[in-house]
Formats: sequence, C-alpha cells, structure tokens
Amino acid sequence: MTEDLSYEFAFGTYEDALRMVGTRTEPRFAGTAVSGARIQHFASMVRDPNPSYWDADFAKSAWGGLVAPPALLIGLLMPPPWVPDGKPPTASIAVRVPLPGTAIINAANDAEYLKPVLEGDMLSVVEKVVSVSPEKTTRLGAGHFIETQETYHRGDDGAVVAICTNTLFRFTPAGDR
Amino acid sequence: MTWDDVVVPWQLPEVVDPISYERVVMNAGTTWDYVPWHYNPRYAKEHGHPTIFVNTMHLAGFIDRIATDYGGPHSRVVRRKVSLLGSIYAGDSMVARGRVVGKRIDTAGDGPQFLVDLEIAIFNQRDELCCPAEVTVQLAG
Repeated sequence: MTEDLSYEFAFGTYEDALRMVGTRTEPRFAGTAVSGARIQHFASMVRDPNPSYWDADFAKSAWGGLVAPPALLIGLLMPPPWVPDGKPPTASIAVRVPLPGTAIINAANDAEYLKPVLEGDMLSVVEKVVSVSPEKTTRLGAGHFIETQETYHRGDDGAVVAICTNTLFRFTPAGDR
Repeated sequence: MTWDDVVVPWQLPEVVDPISYERVVMNAGTTWDYVPWHYNPRYAKEHGHPTIFVNTMHLAGFIDRIATDYGGPHSRVVRRKVSLLGSIYAGDSMVARGRVVGKRIDTAGDGPQFLVDLEIAIFNQRDELCCPAEVTVQLAG
C-alpha cells in the first residue's frame, strides 16, 4: 500500500474478530446538522432532479423541508478526513474489527428508511457487529466478510430514521500475499 | 404516479449515465469517502482495478433516482437492497434497467402505506451486471 487511509484499521486474527461479534458502539454524532449544500452537492453528482432535494418550497410542503437523499445517509455520518486535534477520525466499526486484511470493499447493503431525513436534522448512528465470516477467497484476494448493522437516529426526538445492514469484504489483495 | 396508475409488471425506460473522472472525484467529495481508490488512479491500479471507481452511495443514489423518477416527487424510497458485483470506473457508463414487480398496501404501521416493489439493475456499457437492487418506494396514496 503506497498511501495511508485517513483512518486506521485494527489488525488481528479471525479469532480476535469473532470476539467483536455482538459489540455495539456508543452513539457517534455528525459534527454538524444536515445542510442543503450537502444535499444539493450529492443530488448534483447523481444528476437527480427530484424537487425534494432542490425546491425548498415544494420540499417544505411535501416533507417539511429539503430532503437528504437516502443514499447519502452513510456520508452524512462520515467523519471529515482531518480534524484540528490531529487525531485520526473515528472509523466505522467495520474497519475496527481486527483482521489481517489491508484493504476493504463493500459487498452488499440493505437499507430501510423509516422516516425522511431533512435539512437541519442532527444525526447519530449506533453500529453493531453482526457476523464475521471464515476466510473466503475472491478474485480480489483472500479475506473475511464483515456484516454490521447501523441504526440512525435524529436528534430532536431520537426517532430511528434508518436501519442499514452492510457487508464489507476485508481482504489482502491477491498480489500482496 | 398514483396508486391506481401502478401497473404490474411494468418495464421502466433504460437510463444511461456516462461517468467521467470529474463525477468519480465529486463522488468522493460529496460523500466524504476518501478511500484512495475513489480518487487516486495509481492506488486503484495497485489494488487490481483499472482506475478509480464510484462508491456504494453513488450507485444507490443512481438507483434511487430511477425509483423516484418513476414514483414522482411525492414518492420516497423506503427500502433498497443492493449487491455489489462489479465496479463502475471513470470512463464507464452506468446503465439502469428496471421494472415494477409488485404493489401492496402495508397496514402494519400507523396508517396504510402504498408500496411499489421495483427491481433495478445497474450494468456497465459492456452489459456486465454490476449492481442488482431491490427497491421499495412509498407513494403518497
């Protein structure tokens, strides 16, 4: 690897990883409220003309405010890559599961969006390690599938807005073995 | 789209979206996902990829765009299940093909929910399946 990720992997054995199954994090809070700028930057990137993201008057009457694209939710809880205290950002629990692999790639995601997330919402997430597979070999390399569940809350009433189950492949690239 | 207008099965029009380097880098910037293979071609090549590629949020956002283009601005994605079989690289096109596979009224919650089930799959321009998805949109009624 020639370039460091901005967050740190935890390294260990499969047995170490299994000990983390069932671990649930404390709530991790977004640093700022959901902003119209991030909503529209993402919608612009996807080229989605949905007025729920662009037209404040329409969005207010239909939903109560500009809507955050559901697909952006994980990004709204992503820590910035640099912070003033110099500490590495807190990574998703999936990369804190100790394993030998040096790379990650997403394999699957199943998301249920219970309530719309709106501009101004303060979000938090609680993550849980659901399972870690035995070693599997894929075309990318050998590694383990880590299934996690993320439960997203909004700040004003604590309501659960989304529940996502994600499967990440943590592996050692085939050429690095 | 109203509930009575929903026809099952129904084929959605194909949507093609060319993905430039700008869009892939914009993807990292909008989602704050700075894993280097989303912006650094050299890093991507060292990890077995031809170049940088979009992340899951971009694929999901494209799928949601197809879903709410169909359902209209009063519709909302309430569930999306994606499998990531292949990557969309800078220079590729995302090709979405979708169809309506079901409609149902869910009465388990506070009020009836008018739900439409879609299957939307993203292929690349070589017709390789990259990201099949099951999506449920809720209509206003």
